Amino acid sequence: MAERLSPPLVCLLGILQDARLAQGLTLPDWEAVIRLARAARIHATLGHRLLANPDCWNAVPLQPRGHLEAAMNFAAWRRHLLDMELRSLCSQLPAGIEVVLIKGAAYHTQHLPLAEGRLSADIDLLVRREDLDATEAALVEGGWRSTVTDPYDQRYYREWSHELPPMQAKGHALELDLHHGIAPVTSRCRPDPAALWASRRALPDSRYFVLDPADQLIHAVVHLFQDTELDGRLRDLVDIDAMVRALPGEDAALRALVSRVSQFGADRLFWFALHACQRWLGTPVPSVLWPAPPPMTARRLMDWMLPRTLLPRLPEAGLGLGGLCASQLAKWRYHRMRMPTGLLLRHGLEKGWRRLALRGAR
Amino acid sequence: MSCPIAGAELEPARKELAHNLRTSGLCIDYGACIARVRSDVPAFADAFFQLYRHFELSGDAAFVDFHIELGRGEGLRRWVRPQSRFLIDRVQPFDPFAASHAFPHYEWGLNWTFAQRFNQYVLLHAGVLALENRALILPAIPGSGKSTLTAALMLSGFRLLSDEFGVLRPRSGDLLPMLKPVALKNASIDVIRRFGPRAEIGPTFAATRKGDVAHLAPDVASVAAVHQPASPAVIVFPAWREGAALDLQPQVPEQAFTRLAFNSFNYGLLGRIGFDAVADLAGACPAYQLTYSRLEDAVETLRRLVTALPGRANG
Repeated sequence: MAERLSPPLVCLLGILQDARLAQGLTLPDWEAVIRLARAARIHATLGHRLLANPDCWNAVPLQPRGHLEAAMNFAAWRRHLLDMELRSLCSQLPAGIEVVLIKGAAYHTQHLPLAEGRLSADIDLLVRREDLDATEAALVEGGWRSTVTDPYDQRYYREWSHELPPMQAKGHALELDLHHGIAPVTSRCRPDPAALWASRRALPDSRYFVLDPADQLIHAVVHLFQDTELDGRLRDLVDIDAMVRALPGEDAALRALVSRVSQFGADRLFWFALHACQRWLGTPVPSVLWPAPPPMTARRLMDWMLPRTLLPRLPEAGLGLGGLCASQLAKWRYHRMRMPTGLLLRHGLEKGWRRLALRGAR
Repeated sequence: MSCPIAGAELEPARKELAHNLRTSGLCIDYGACIARVRSDVPAFADAFFQLYRHFELSGDAAFVDFHIELGRGEGLRRWVRPQSRFLIDRVQPFDPFAASHAFPHYEWGLNWTFAQRFNQYVLLHAGVLALENRALILPAIPGSGKSTLTAALMLSGFRLLSDEFGVLRPRSGDLLPMLKPVALKNASIDVIRRFGPRAEIGPTFAATRKGDVAHLAPDVASVAAVHQPASPAVIVFPAWREGAALDLQPQVPEQAFTRLAFNSFNYGLLGRIGFDAVADLAGACPAYQLTYSRLEDAVETLRRLVTALPGRANG
């Protein structure tokens, strides 16, 4: 808890918790807050939080307000593109195959408050493993092409990952990620796809499904702590914070979530997520929700690493030695979480060899 | 600290500003935005101080919109065929230019940044000038002679708001200055030299990706009014044609709407906000198509057009 955060970061985290804190900010404060929010890609979210309270919004000076308005307009346009893309995909996806929307597309189509201002870079679709080839073929038919051409990388995705390489279609702004699971098949924490499918929910008047709300939250946690290098991912924490705040109050529902977390082996990741949310976003965490805490060494390490990697920095503020070590550690951890030791060694050797060979060929 | 650069007696101040430009950066007030630019590219400073000579340049501003660096090439390219690199928030969004073209590189990069980030406004691709805060909007596709006409109008006493961006505020419907040096291309450079012998034109940058480019410095009066919005008064779509007799054809509002919308940087992005703002603009202002060959004729026609209109707002 003792980490020293920069004053503008304290401001930004404060406003995310309570928009009224924006009222006393000076113009130089605002400049730094806007830049940090932009670095974390949450400036449109920040705008919506302020806009929701007219007193707070009216207190925002003209210049920062302009940046927030621009961000909200941009985010609204991206949501519009997402809508159009999902509609056009309806006709491309094979009729008999069930498709679950995950992450941004799911938040958007469920009209969750957290989708307001959230910038999605891509569309994430989940299908059953046995439907993967047919879905991919249909997408290729519809003009979508893999962005990865290297055969080794293709094999890496297909054998060890939980998604195909990102796909793009000419004239389409958004990338498409086709998943058959929500965590790599080789990873430490791997929610069982069959269980996810069993509790999927149909969206009203739509060909798409979404995961059960508890699974959506667990997915957000597993994604952040296992599928990213943690760099600049405050946005993911903001998503998780909003989902925890929106949990139903009843004890039974919370206990069901806790047992789901255990069932998926995500206790430790869930604990870290709750801990970080509580610490930086003031998330009220019901006591029944806490899994058993991870060992002290793991907690210390994470407490040291997270503020140095996950929280945004002003562009001019260098990483520093601590930050550099933390981001290297986060990279190493990322790979370690995704693969068992043997496979990781093999993958590391292959990548290293290829890099050398490539350099030799130049 | 802040001080305009006007003459030889201000040489020490100029030295201090040059020092600021290299170290912590200088803040430039464009009206619609404030940029802080830092550069150690030698070729940049000379053109910069010449073309921004009337601007109030300062070491600090209460709120800076864009943090820009124009850096030198990396590694060998610092010395061998030196390059300039444009960075916004320490990110380099596009390839380096030759260091000798650092100034147009900066101008181009700033336009790009503004168009990317300032989606709180409808950004029309248009020259904007004003007489007593009544704005003349000149939307045009590239190559129609918009910059040349804009330059000539400023040299004939119009206040320049912008050569590139018509910055339309959605709710109020007025236009903000986005005051930058006017980029003149190829033959236009000499045309404007002949048109206004006292025009302050910077160095010519040969063979950029848009051909030869030279910039016209905004005049004192335009810089002094950089915080003064103007109300749209008339929309004119200009087209220069060699040898053509001057012709001014009224445009119906629907036609003006379409041409404004499709000459905008972010009309599609803004959705309904853009539609409403452009529809209001096209509905409120008379619009014309102007074909001309002689700049003098075009300037006089436009002056009469703007002066003859009933004053909508003189605020």
